[in-house]
Amino acid sequence: MDLRDLREASDAALVVAIGRWRQEALAEAYRRHAGAVFALSRRLLRDAALAEEVVQEVFLRLWHAPDRFDPERGSLRSYLLAQTHGRTVDLLRSETSRRQREERDARATAEAGYDLEHEVLDLSVAEHVRHAVAQLTSDERRAIELAYFGGHTYREVAALLDQPEGTVKSRIRAGLRRMRTTLADVGIAGAPWPLR
Amino acid sequence: MATPLNHAAIEELLGAYALDAVDDDERDAVERHLAECPRCRAEVTEHREVAALLANAGLPAPDGLWDRLAGVLDAPPPQLALAPVTPPRRRRRAVVGWAAAAVAAAVVAVLGVTAITQGRRLDHALQALRQNGLLRAALAASTSTGARHAELASPDGRVLASAVLLRDGTGFLVRDDLTPLPADRTYQLWGIIGGDKISLGLLGRHPGVVAFRAAGDVAGFAVTAERAGGAVAPTGTPVIAGAVRSA
Ligand SMILES: [Zn+2]
Repeated sequence: MDLRDLREASDAALVVAIGRWRQEALAEAYRRHAGAVFALSRRLLRDAALAEEVVQEVFLRLWHAPDRFDPERGSLRSYLLAQTHGRTVDLLRSETSRRQREERDARATAEAGYDLEHEVLDLSVAEHVRHAVAQLTSDERRAIELAYFGGHTYREVAALLDQPEGTVKSRIRAGLRRMRTTLADVGIAGAPWPLR
Repeated sequence: MATPLNHAAIEELLGAYALDAVDDDERDAVERHLAECPRCRAEVTEHREVAALLANAGLPAPDGLWDRLAGVLDAPPPQLALAPVTPPRRRRRAVVGWAAAAVAAAVVAVLGVTAITQGRRLDHALQALRQNGLLRAALAASTSTGARHAELASPDGRVLASAVLLRDGTGFLVRDDLTPLPADRTYQLWGIIGGDKISLGLLGRHPGVVAFRAAGDVAGFAVTAERAGGAVAPTGTPVIAGAVRSA
């Protein structure tokens, strides 16, 4: 695989090459996804230096354990961002950042309602994602924003919004699910899982 | 969680779980369920796809970050022609658990998969990064002179933890992927010393990085799942086990 092939390789093929210790394949995966990884982590941490550490962790993990990514179960982007979010939230919840977190909470509450609209910058899908967000009730939207971009547990979200925990938990799931359906309708995401 | 959550309760948590918005007990409960329920796994995957779209900010990564990252990547290992390792036969696993784990580890050691597992060791460490100061100590230990290493694998051959043992008997275990146990159970670490299984300590139900001390010549490590108070001798086959490689 030469460099030009790598540029055209699927994400799954890149991961196979990474499994063979092809550093240039990791470089290509980095080129495609590191920006999103960095943006998400910095969005939560509000600290570029810490977010850079998360980027390094996420791509080092891909380098050392590429087999953790299962192309049958979602895209590489989604896998990397889930890893990013998990690592970032761990940092946020660690003891040392407790104080900053308390300060951050006030800001997060004040800013809720804007994040989702401003976060989506990829123009090819932005309109559709915006449309999907617009299908949410404002309660669903705020709950998802505070959980995902605020790094809060649903219990914390419930406290912040002064709503019952069970209600917030349900709203997060229902909201994600509705967005999935909306996006699937326009071919952005696969079909939603079957109703039960 | 004192009582396991039923399926409906787990399902209700899946959205919050996919956004890392559940507390530790709930996360453990969901993950135990996901290990056995493809349907819920599929739902979590889909929630994460949606979340990834929300996060889809197409900013460039910071300048210079790739160069720093490339600087810490391991050099590619020499090409090894690895013979396939035949996993122990399933029906015999219960009978030969301890022996099979040791043999599998020995086979891995003989085949010289060191170069590959070396990378995994770093990965294990990274996964628990900043969990506590122990990790930094473990990372430092893993590169210090005379340090010996062990990869602890499950009976089906997955490396789920790694251990590093220093010459003074100080050791660190960094788990990777051990399934959290219920509240009344704990993982327990054993050292294979002079043919005996010596307890090196309780790891808790969801271990991250643990430090231990071992006296004597440790040939291998094993981890079992025991009742919360621990056991004086292992009561079952090891969940993971591996031989210590020579320095
Ligand atoms: Zn299920």
